Amino acid sequence: MADKPRVLVAMSGGVDSSVAAALLVRQGYDCVGVTMKLFEDGAELPDRPCCSLDSTSDARRVAQQLDIPHYVLNMVDHFGRDVIADFVSEYASGRTPIPCVRCNTFTKFSDLVTKADAIDAPFVATGHYARVADGRLLRGADDNKDQTYFLWGIDRGVVPRLILPVGELTKTETRQIARDLQLPRVADKAESQEICFVPDGDYMAILKRELPADAPALTPGPFVLSDGTLVGAHNGFAQYTIGQRRALPGGFSEPMFVTAIRPADRAVVLGPRAELLGKALIARGTNWLGDVPRVGDAVGVRVRHRAPIAPGEVIRMDGDEIEVALDAPVAAIAPGQSAVFYRADVVLGGGFIASATPVTLNTRALPIRRTPSSGAPVRS
Amino acid sequence: MRLPTRPPTSPHVPPRPAVSRFSLIFQPVKPAPIYLDHAATTPVRPEVLEAMAPFFDARFGNPSSTHRWGREARTALDEARERVAACMGAAPDEVCFTSGGTEADNLAILGAWRMLRGNGRNAVVTSPIEHKAVLESVHQAGREGAEERFIAVDSTGTVQLDDARARISGDVALVSVMWINNEVGTIQPIAELAALAKANGAVFHTDAVQAFGKVEVDARKIPFDFASFSGHKIGAPKGIGAMFLRRGAPLEPLFFGGSQDRGRRPGTENVAFAVGLAKACELANAERSEHSAKYRAWRDRLEAAIREQVSDVVVNGDGAERAPHILNVSVPGVDSQSFLMALDLHGIACSGGSACQSGSTGGSHVLAAMHPKAPAGASVRMSVGTLTDDGAVARAAEVFTKLALKARGLVTA
Repeated sequence: MADKPRVLVAMSGGVDSSVAAALLVRQGYDCVGVTMKLFEDGAELPDRPCCSLDSTSDARRVAQQLDIPHYVLNMVDHFGRDVIADFVSEYASGRTPIPCVRCNTFTKFSDLVTKADAIDAPFVATGHYARVADGRLLRGADDNKDQTYFLWGIDRGVVPRLILPVGELTKTETRQIARDLQLPRVADKAESQEICFVPDGDYMAILKRELPADAPALTPGPFVLSDGTLVGAHNGFAQYTIGQRRALPGGFSEPMFVTAIRPADRAVVLGPRAELLGKALIARGTNWLGDVPRVGDAVGVRVRHRAPIAPGEVIRMDGDEIEVALDAPVAAIAPGQSAVFYRADVVLGGGFIASATPVTLNTRALPIRRTPSSGAPVRS
Repeated sequence: MRLPTRPPTSPHVPPRPAVSRFSLIFQPVKPAPIYLDHAATTPVRPEVLEAMAPFFDARFGNPSSTHRWGREARTALDEARERVAACMGAAPDEVCFTSGGTEADNLAILGAWRMLRGNGRNAVVTSPIEHKAVLESVHQAGREGAEERFIAVDSTGTVQLDDARARISGDVALVSVMWINNEVGTIQPIAELAALAKANGAVFHTDAVQAFGKVEVDARKIPFDFASFSGHKIGAPKGIGAMFLRRGAPLEPLFFGGSQDRGRRPGTENVAFAVGLAKACELANAERSEHSAKYRAWRDRLEAAIREQVSDVVVNGDGAERAPHILNVSVPGVDSQSFLMALDLHGIACSGGSACQSGSTGGSHVLAAMHPKAPAGASVRMSVGTLTDDGAVARAAEVFTKLALKARGLVTA
C-alpha cells in the first residue's frame, strides 16, 4: 500500500530505471511509471537499448509486475525541437553536441516535471547514477557510472524534487537487485551507451537526412596543420571531433589528433598531442544548481563524460560565461561539449564549452614530419 | 532482495516502513475504476461466452472436414452466418467473416478497387474523418493508381453533401464513408451518400463498426454495397468481424488459399468466434432501442454536467446528429496526455481520440479536419455502454470537472 507521496518514475525499460521504480515501490511510494516516446521509431530502426518500442514494452511489463500504473507519453515534438534539431545544428557549426544534456535539461527534467505537476506528483524519479541530498545534486556512488556530467543543466528548483534511487548503488548492485526482484528481462540488458535516436552510432545518417546536401559540414574541405600546411582533404567536418585520431591522414612521425574544426573554411586542424592540451576554458550558457562560484574559487572541472575531474580556479565570471584556469593541462577540450563544475561530490553546475586556451608551445620546431615516401609536405 | 550496501544519503529515500497488519485493514477505500471507453472495446458478454464454449471443447471440428466433427462445425458456421445476415437485413451469402473491422475495411476497399480499376473509373472517394483502416486502404489504392478524393466535413464533423455531389461523378469506382465517426460520434448521411454513389454507378462502402447496435443498420433499406462490422465493440471477442457484400458486388480477395467462404476469405474459419459474433449481433439488435435511450440519457447527463462546470468546454460534434454512446470534449489550454493520465489515476478510463491512435505524433486527424485552426487543448472521448451505471456517470462528471478546472492552473507542455 502506497503511503508515501506520489512519484512520477521515468522508465526507459532498462535495468536502472526499472530497479529505481522497484525500490521506490518497496519503500512505499505511490509510483506512476511513464515511458517517453521521443522520436518516431519506424521499422528501419533496429531495437535500441533505450526508448524503442521494445524497450517501451519492457517498461510496461516491469510496471505491470510492480503493479503500478504506466503511461507512454508522446514527446516527439518537443524532443525533436529541443534535442535533435540542436544536435544537428551543433554538428553543422563544427561543434560536438551532447544530446543527453539537452534531453535532461529540456525534456526529462522540464517537460516531464510539468506532467508530474499535472498528476500531483511532488517527486520525479529516474535511473540516473547521481544522488540528491539536502537539495544538492551529488555524484553517484559508483565512480564508473556517475552521470552527473549530463545533469548540470536542470533547473535548480527541480533538484529537491528528484529521487535517484540507483545513485547509491554500483551498476553491479543494480543488476543484482534486478535479479533478486525477478526482473530478468531487464537485469542483463546491454548498456545504452549510444545516443538513443542514432541507430548504430551512425550520426552521419541523421545529419544527411536533416541537413541540405550542400551543407558546409557535409562538404569536402582541407586537413591542415596549425601552421596552415595543407596535409589532405576530408569529406565533411561533421565527421570529426576534437581529440579524434581515427580516419585521419597517416604518415606522420607521431600520433596526430583533430585539434580544431574551422567551419569558416571547412578546415579540420590536425596536430600532435601537445596541441590538444588546454590550460584554461571558457564555458557559456552556464546553469548553477546551488551557490554560484566566485572568481578565485577552487573548482573541479570535467570536460567529458567519465573524464577525471581536473582541479582549477575560476578566473572570470561574466553573465552566463565562466572562465576557469586549469591547474594542469587537459586534453581535447571540445567546443559544444559540457564543462561541469564540482566541489568534492557536489555538482555546482556547468556550461557549454565555447573555447579552450591552448598551452603556449615552445617555439622550437614541432617534431611533425611526414615520412618521405608519402610525398606529403615536410616541416622542419 | 539485497539492499544497497551504503546507507542512503537522500532524505527522499527513507528505509521501507514495516508493514503492520493494520495498514492492510485500514487502507482508505479506493472507489472502483470506471470504464468509459466502450467505443474502444467492450467485455465479452456472458451469453456470448456461453454460446462459444462448446466450440472450444467437444465441437472443435474443422468446418471443411467431411466427418461428423466437420459437419457439426460446418452447421454451426452456416447457422452463425445466417444469424449475422439476418441482423443486418442480408442474405447469408452476403456475409464474410473477417478478423475484425480493419480486415473488413481493407477487403471491401481494396477488393472492390482492384476489380474495378482500369475501366474508366479511377477515383476513390472518402472523407478525412475515416478510421485509419479506411484511410490507409484508400492510400494503398492511391499507390496502385487510384485518384484519392476527400469529401469536406463541416465543423460538426459531418460530411457535406454539397461537396459530396461535386466529387462523386461518373469516374468514381468506389465511395467509402463511415456510418458513425468513432472519435466524435457524428452520424453521417449514409442513405444520401449511398444513393449518390449508386446514381453515379459507383460502389458504396460504409464502415459500420460504431453504428451496429446503436442505429438501425439494414441492407434492405439503404443500398450500400459493402459494410464493415467488428465483434468486440458489441460484446463479442476481439479477432472477429464481418463484411457485408451485396450480391454481385465486385471483390478480389486479399488472401489466397482454400475455398473457404467461396474463396473470398480463405483460411479455416473461426467457428467459435463466428458463433459468438452471431449471438452478440442478435443481442445488440434486440436491445438497440432500449440501450440507445439509456446511453443517450447518460451521455447527455455527463455532457450537461461538464458544460455547467467548465464553461468554455467544446463539445465536439455539437449540433450534428450524434451516436448515443460517444461524448468527445475539448478542454482548451490543457495538456491532453497529462489530463488523460490524471483521469486514469483518478479511476476514470477514457481515451484521447481513438484507442488505435495513441502513440502517434499528431493530435486527432478527425478534430483537425473539423477545426483546421483548432486551439491546442485536451480532447477526451468518453463512451458509455454495458459497464456504465448512474453512479459511474455522476462520479465521472465530478472527477472530470474537478481535474479540468485544476489543470487550468498548470502550464501546458
